[in-house]
Amino acid sequence: MNNENEFTGADILLKALKDQEVDTIFGYPGGAVLPIYDAIFGQNFLKHVLVRQEAGAVHAAEGYARSSGKVGVLLVTSGPGVTNVVTGLTDALMDSIPIVCISGQVPSHLIGTDAFQECDTTGITRPCTKHNYLVKDVNKLSETIHEAFKIASSGRPGPVLIDIPKDVQFAKSKYISKKDISFREHRIKAGSKNVDNNFVKELVNHIKKSERPIFYVGGGCLNSGHQASQELIKLVNKTNIPITTTLHGLGCFPGEDKSSLGMLGMHGNYEANLAMNKCDLMINVGARFDDRVTGRLDAFSPDSIKFHIDIDQSSINKNVKVNFHTNTDITLTLKEINSFIDSNNIDFGDNDYNNWWGQINEWRKKECLHYEQGDEVIKPQHAISRLYELTKQKDTFVTTEVGQHQMWAAQYYKFSKPNRWITSGGLGTMGFGMPAAVGAQMANPDSLVIDIAGEASFLMNIQEIATAVQYKLPIKIFILNNEYMGMVRQWQELLHGSRYSESYVDALPDFKKLAESFNAVGVRAKNISELDDTINEMISIDRPVIADIWVDKKENCFPMIPSGAAHHEMLLSKYDKENPENQEKGKVLV
Amino acid sequence: MSSTSVYPTPINAFKQSKRSVLSVIVDNEPGILARIVGLFSGRGYNIEALNVTVVDVKKNLSRITIETLGEEKVISQIIAQLEKLVPVHSATNLANLSESYEAEICLVKIEFENEEQDQKILNFADIYRSRTVQKRQNIVVYEISGTSERINKFLDDLDTIGGIKVELVRSGPIGLGI
Ligand SMILES: Cc1ncc(C[n+]2csc(CCOP(=O)(O)OP(=O)(O)O)c2C)c(N)n1
Ligand SMILES: [Mg+2]
Repeated sequence: MNNENEFTGADILLKALKDQEVDTIFGYPGGAVLPIYDAIFGQNFLKHVLVRQEAGAVHAAEGYARSSGKVGVLLVTSGPGVTNVVTGLTDALMDSIPIVCISGQVPSHLIGTDAFQECDTTGITRPCTKHNYLVKDVNKLSETIHEAFKIASSGRPGPVLIDIPKDVQFAKSKYISKKDISFREHRIKAGSKNVDNNFVKELVNHIKKSERPIFYVGGGCLNSGHQASQELIKLVNKTNIPITTTLHGLGCFPGEDKSSLGMLGMHGNYEANLAMNKCDLMINVGARFDDRVTGRLDAFSPDSIKFHIDIDQSSINKNVKVNFHTNTDITLTLKEINSFIDSNNIDFGDNDYNNWWGQINEWRKKECLHYEQGDEVIKPQHAISRLYELTKQKDTFVTTEVGQHQMWAAQYYKFSKPNRWITSGGLGTMGFGMPAAVGAQMANPDSLVIDIAGEASFLMNIQEIATAVQYKLPIKIFILNNEYMGMVRQWQELLHGSRYSESYVDALPDFKKLAESFNAVGVRAKNISELDDTINEMISIDRPVIADIWVDKKENCFPMIPSGAAHHEMLLSKYDKENPENQEKGKVLV
Repeated sequence: MSSTSVYPTPINAFKQSKRSVLSVIVDNEPGILARIVGLFSGRGYNIEALNVTVVDVKKNLSRITIETLGEEKVISQIIAQLEKLVPVHSATNLANLSESYEAEICLVKIEFENEEQDQKILNFADIYRSRTVQKRQNIVVYEISGTSERINKFLDDLDTIGGIKVELVRSGPIGLGI
């Protein structure tokens, strides 16, 4: 049959990707996706980035999505190709990142026979995707792909997987374009488009009445788009209410603004956590009362009236009971709050929370992020502060690995715009940052992209340097090298009597030589006198650079609310001792 | 001294397990049942009874009824997560409705040995108004329906008759809100 309106499944996939305006795909070939790779070979709208391990593809797609606001796309083969992306899919689910994963599957007639490189892909990925599909009929392929993109990016975003058996990639059908598909609303779950006017009115009334209000802003604000943060800035300026953000909320509000209390939570600022503890009105904008943020639940902000804006119904009243909530999109809701205030000429002039700000400024005097930089060994905090000072003029994207360096990056690097900060929060995936930097650099070819890394995490996906080199992506890997799984060592010091079981990272490679062997560039700073020059050199090189920064091996990350403690039971320095009762209770938590 | 919490200590409040019957309308497609079951098994929750049947052929809809034991707060969270699943149209905890009806159907095959047993069986069957599906020599098959509790009672009563052999199948409860 040679009908010119019919295409193979592989061609339909490419047509659909084009229709969805996808121009970059991260992938790794194998037997079950060869027809798709064949289709990729003969076209030029889609840039394929060959990673070195599928885990790299999924984190790169996440980095691409987070830094661009678009859906990230990846392509992997059946069996081990798929099982290698399970961590990344879970990561994207936890952190609400829109990605679409295309996987090959053994031919339909072999499914269920333990065929070579067969695995139950939809079964394995069901709990770690927002939705997944096994496409057994090529006639359903176009529609499935378009629905997958819609679901990945609607409501609370997340990862979607499409498993395509090899015979379906060869089979022929008509292509149905995106505009010819009518989505069924119950499947998309985009959230309400109607602003809850009662919520808005109640909120404004409570703002007027309150004496100690606070904004608590999370990643939902980021996912709602740039306009959400514009509206948020307007609202904060209008009301003079202090604002704290979660790890993922960083950048939704300018970190150096006077109204910003910085990040809250386990390693959050003293003033932010105390303000949450003592506030009388909490306005949660797209945050989910995560355990890293709330500390001990029964002591979490005991005296406040709580408002919660979240598109995800299942995040409401999950960990903390709130007084008012709305499931409407954050941008729409904030916009309405702003225009309600404007059109009713509500003036907050006589209520600028003077006493509250006075109290907050007292807390600020603790200078919880203070550290002592001597004149020899580099303090990790100082390395980040210098990195910030020397890069802040540029529109810099920062990714991270997981550990102390991640928390120091969150504390000392200041973000003024959304989508510039890309980190694994919910899952805490070591090995995330470098491939995520590859993705961010693909999406932003002219920007400076830095992975703030720990030496242990970096080793988990080190193979992706080759990807960066191949595609001439000048990412910078800024390693705070403390020769320890620092965060593990810190917990062992604080909770397990300094018994450093298996947390020393022995037999480390020489990162400079390692860079060179990959045809990247290696630079190193061994002490404070070399730090600024090394950073400047790193920035000036238009190639992938690994910067090996030797930092104090025993530095701990403070402030810290130990697991199981409350916000006001924060440790500020190594001289603070934890209440032993909490220590026993906290040990069993994560 | 720290101030007292406005929230009850969650540990105690959550611990009370309660029977719930959930009713879920879904697109009838592969994987949906596994998705739903995962929300229970992932928490170590057991499903006591489960019923799945197409209820609208044209719209390709199924209704799934799930009986489970669990803490109320967790059940509410499961409902909220059920509603997030792509193929799910709605999820309801029948216990939260002001008016709802429940029924279950049971088929019982009884093998007996003597007249006395036969008489007793007949007697219970009559009291519970169960319908005879088949009867020959020493085997009788009944169909009984009603609330799960009513069926339990019927089976308990049969149990008091010694020396008979009972084999049965139950649909699990199904329910409808008004
Ligand atoms: C894949 C994975 N395995 C284990 C952990 C647990 N973990 C959290 S932080 C950490 C140590 C990270 O060490 P490094 O990358 O050197 O960062 P540092 O804390 O020293 O800055 C470990 C092992 C994790 N988060 N992810
Ligand atoms: Mg380290």
